[in-house]
Amino acid sequence: MSQMDQPLSKIKLLNPTYPNKSTGIINGESSGLLNWNDIAYPQMYDLYQTLLANFWKAQEINMQDDIKQWEYLTETEKDVFLRINTQLASLDSLQTPTMTEVMDYVTDSSFKAIFAVISQQEAVHNESYSYILSSLVPLREQNERFDQAKEDPIVRKRNQLILDRYEAFRQHPSPQRLFELAVNSINLEGIYFYAGFAFFYHLARQQKMVKTSSMISYIQRDEMQHAYFVSQFVRILLTENPELNTEENINYVYQTVDKAVQLEKEWADYILKDIDGIDLEEFHGYVEYLANKRFRQLGLDNYYPARENPMQWIQVFSDEMMNETKSDFFEQKSRTYTKVSSSNGFDEL
Amino acid sequence: MKAAIIYTSVTGNTSTLAELIHERMESRGMETDLIPIHEFRPGQLSQYDIIAVGTYTWDNGELPLEMEDLYEAFETEDVKHVTTGVFGTGDSFFAHYCGAVDLFRDMLFAQTSLAVTLKVELTPQQTDLDRCDKFCDRLTRELILV
Ligand SMILES: Cc1cc2nc3c(=O)[nH]c(=O)nc-3n(C[C@H](O)[C@H](O)[C@H](O)COP(=O)(O)O)c2cc1C
Repeated sequence: MSQMDQPLSKIKLLNPTYPNKSTGIINGESSGLLNWNDIAYPQMYDLYQTLLANFWKAQEINMQDDIKQWEYLTETEKDVFLRINTQLASLDSLQTPTMTEVMDYVTDSSFKAIFAVISQQEAVHNESYSYILSSLVPLREQNERFDQAKEDPIVRKRNQLILDRYEAFRQHPSPQRLFELAVNSINLEGIYFYAGFAFFYHLARQQKMVKTSSMISYIQRDEMQHAYFVSQFVRILLTENPELNTEENINYVYQTVDKAVQLEKEWADYILKDIDGIDLEEFHGYVEYLANKRFRQLGLDNYYPARENPMQWIQVFSDEMMNETKSDFFEQKSRTYTKVSSSNGFDEL
Repeated sequence: MKAAIIYTSVTGNTSTLAELIHERMESRGMETDLIPIHEFRPGQLSQYDIIAVGTYTWDNGELPLEMEDLYEAFETEDVKHVTTGVFGTGDSFFAHYCGAVDLFRDMLFAQTSLAVTLKVELTPQQTDLDRCDKFCDRLTRELILV
């Protein structure tokens, strides 16, 4: 099934037109002063601004509708809802301190700043899970649910893969361990959230708990951008430090992400088994599709067979639902081109 | 007969796609300039018979900043006769998959003779090669018809 026997390709080099003035994202010489107009990877400024533009907070979302609807969920739905909520919250709790930890080791100030923004966003995510919980169940039950998440053997097994590498970096920070941490951070943000996301979007497509899903949608958007950033970080790390860009490490990426994929399937089989309307076989395919995208973001090849997205409804809500506004460029000149499609006589491939 | 591909890319996906299209245009005997957006200068669009625009999408489906000058050039230069195509890479998890392609599409339809659009998810895969061929066929066929 997987392409285990195929030769592994090294991560492709980044755009060679970048200026070389960087003294390095790690072990570099840097005054520590940050002038965004003079940075080694100018696209990081755009990324920083895009991340900031995501800014949102839980309290902006009125939970009244969900509070009313909660009563009408089945006992199974309520149970799964609370378990997924606390499980996701515990993943985010891990991420906030880890990102600040990494900051101490990264020498490029623009990257430090982005890690700081990511860490802040993880803190908001963490809070939003608490906010959802506090709207729905009393404190005693919240605490029970957090204990349940801590003790659940499958959750523990999943988290262990990540924790081991995070802990190893804390103990002895080295470029190799930073690389391994980053790969596992992609697992956490880019793979481990998706069984949970699937559950909430599944409720939303039945018009249930839509306020919760709006928050999930904001979270997914943030997380996707984090996974992009961390992938870029990995590519730059390997490009700047060719001694890390080895066959062994590329193999490490394939093996580690594959482990996360298997663990996510296992978790989905367990947590979503009683939820009607989520086909678990299909979800397995979805996780592989997801992982293929992570590999391609890293500049690697697909590891699983190429396929179309089998669950297109696991998707960030549109701006119309999220009340976003258009950019200045389109506002200022009040450009009003009609939306056209292939029925207007061109081909859409 | 002359063609140009004008594109922008941050992480390399759209430039890979641009190169795939470039190869295919040349192998169809069409002399084609491959122009990264930072080398683009306004005032030259009307010298081409075919122009393909390539863009990634960030920021909730909006146009990348560096593409705004190109967008405006199509609005102000004499390009009615130019056959155009727009391609891009994006991630279908976002609400506006390849939103910048759609923005170019609507404008190019109004300002030029738009022949074809192409969206690819992240790095082009094996299955996308065929679609690149179709894209180039459509771009060059239009000219023969005209
Ligand atoms: C911050 C950020 C926001 C993004 N937003 C969108 C989006 O709204 N729609 C979309 O289709 N893709 C979105 N993407 C995905 C990129 O368009 C995709 O990775 C693309 O292949 C990048 O092209 P490049 O490698 O040529 O830079 C986003 C990526 C990032 C990093």
